[in-house]
Amino acid sequence: MTEGLIFSNLEKQTKDNILFPNFDLTLAPGEIVAIYSTLNVRKMLLDLLRGKAVPSNGKISVHGKTLEEEKKAYMSAVNICFYEEGLYERLKVEDYFSFFIKLYDSGYRMEELLLDTQLQDKRRVRIQSLTESEKRRVHFGRIIIQNPDVFIFEEPDLNVDMETRRVYVNLAKKLQEKRKASLILTGNLENALTVADQVFRLDENGLHVLQVAEEEESKKEEVHTEEKDDEAIKPFQFNKIPTKVNEKIVLFDPQEIDYVESNDGQSNIYIKGESFPSLFTLNELEIRLQHVGFFRCHRSYIVNLQKVREVITWTRNSYSLILDDKAKSSIPLSKTKMAQLKEMLGLK
Amino acid sequence: MTFSMKRMYAIFQKDVRDLSKNMYITTTMLMPLALAIFYSTMDEVTMDMHYLIINLCFAAVGVFVQSAIIAEEKEKNTLRGLMLSPATLPEILGGKSLVTLVLTMATVLICALLMGYEPANYMIVGGAILISCFFYIALGTLVGLLTKSVVEASVLALPVMFIFSFGSLFLTLIEEYPILSFIEYLPSVQLVELAIEVETGAVFADLWSNFAIILAWIVLASLLTAVVYKKKEMDA
Repeated sequence: MTEGLIFSNLEKQTKDNILFPNFDLTLAPGEIVAIYSTLNVRKMLLDLLRGKAVPSNGKISVHGKTLEEEKKAYMSAVNICFYEEGLYERLKVEDYFSFFIKLYDSGYRMEELLLDTQLQDKRRVRIQSLTESEKRRVHFGRIIIQNPDVFIFEEPDLNVDMETRRVYVNLAKKLQEKRKASLILTGNLENALTVADQVFRLDENGLHVLQVAEEEESKKEEVHTEEKDDEAIKPFQFNKIPTKVNEKIVLFDPQEIDYVESNDGQSNIYIKGESFPSLFTLNELEIRLQHVGFFRCHRSYIVNLQKVREVITWTRNSYSLILDDKAKSSIPLSKTKMAQLKEMLGLK
Repeated sequence: MTFSMKRMYAIFQKDVRDLSKNMYITTTMLMPLALAIFYSTMDEVTMDMHYLIINLCFAAVGVFVQSAIIAEEKEKNTLRGLMLSPATLPEILGGKSLVTLVLTMATVLICALLMGYEPANYMIVGGAILISCFFYIALGTLVGLLTKSVVEASVLALPVMFIFSFGSLFLTLIEEYPILSFIEYLPSVQLVELAIEVETGAVFADLWSNFAIILAWIVLASLLTAVVYKKKEMDA
């Protein structure tokens, strides 16, 4: 019998559109995989997962069983933590949890649950007076109670505070230790990169790998050599970064830039929460920007170090940078780059 | 799938906790109670008045509460979570019906005590009230299944409440408008007739026709509910 969640040859078309062509993906126990996609694709995947929609081709199976073959086994093995999930707003947090503990006949203890979700001091508070982030943690609590083999999170850390992100990252790692499989469906690349071992992008062109746990280090050498060349001709270098806006070319001062994100070969420059497509690739931008305090913190990101306010350590090998902009954007920082950054900061 | 009493009881407990904090519903329950207090100050309370209040309890609590708590699960997006859990729909509806049954019977009892209603035969009257209650709960479930939000449910429950609780008031109009003669067969009217006959010393054998009509209503309402249930499959 095959363990875990398996998408085999899955394909979905709606009317004239291909939402996604056939792809194969296996999610084994103890793996965390993120699928980065648009809202349409995500909603369709969720509908397919709970049998609300029928795939055009292929199937989804859990432990070798599809939903049609064995509904009960499938349902108890998979559970989805929706982004828009209703709560019994008038109940207290502990009443809510105890209801689901009874419903699932789960062995989970209340204390443990409150600790895992960091809701200890809110246990006697009605859900309606919690903040959005705390409500999200109540959702997490619920899915912990359900304790399926495959956890599916829809946008687990969108619009939540730092504490909730930390709870979520810890939860994901804890689930991994318990050999549970987690699938994260998100439209936010940064969120996906923080937690998942593998990140895929799913669109009408199919499933593509965005990041694998190990990162190649080959680029380092050439970067170093070019750095020296540039330093030699440093004075009076024209240093504006061109971007396209409609048909115009707009020039930005490097210090205006918050960070640069690369998405499918296209690099986007983020300035005050707005994104502008750049005319250069991420590698070219890295070379142009590294003299002015920019840092390649991740395979797909360059950050303006002047704007970094915090470095957050989620776990031993997962980090984020929090910027000092209005949105408090957070940028993933990969493990190898963390060492480099520490060096730059003079920390050993 | 197996029907689990434990899960049904969990849903019952949850709904009781939830309802106890739901002002919208608890205030509706006060309506028959307030009327009961008002009537009890009168010198002589007729059988019709007693049953006006009791039928109002059925409609305002039985139909309304049942439909509102089902519709609210849909409105607040919580039904999906329940449906994806091991709880089955019969368990969910069973748990909710139990809440409504307890609430309705409690309100009826309090109203009867307030107005000093003392039936000649507790067994028969109590039984008739209990089975009438089943009818109203089935009706409330039907309304709840058909609607998507609490507001919608209360709008739809209004004509239902009106027909079934105030139907007896229109009895006098039957002579003028023969088309209204179906009113005589309404479960609420049957219940009043039954109660009046009990006071004149009737025994169960004399009352079987009233019971039969009420039972027929229950069967009808349950069938309708089952049809709607199958058709909708709770599109959560």
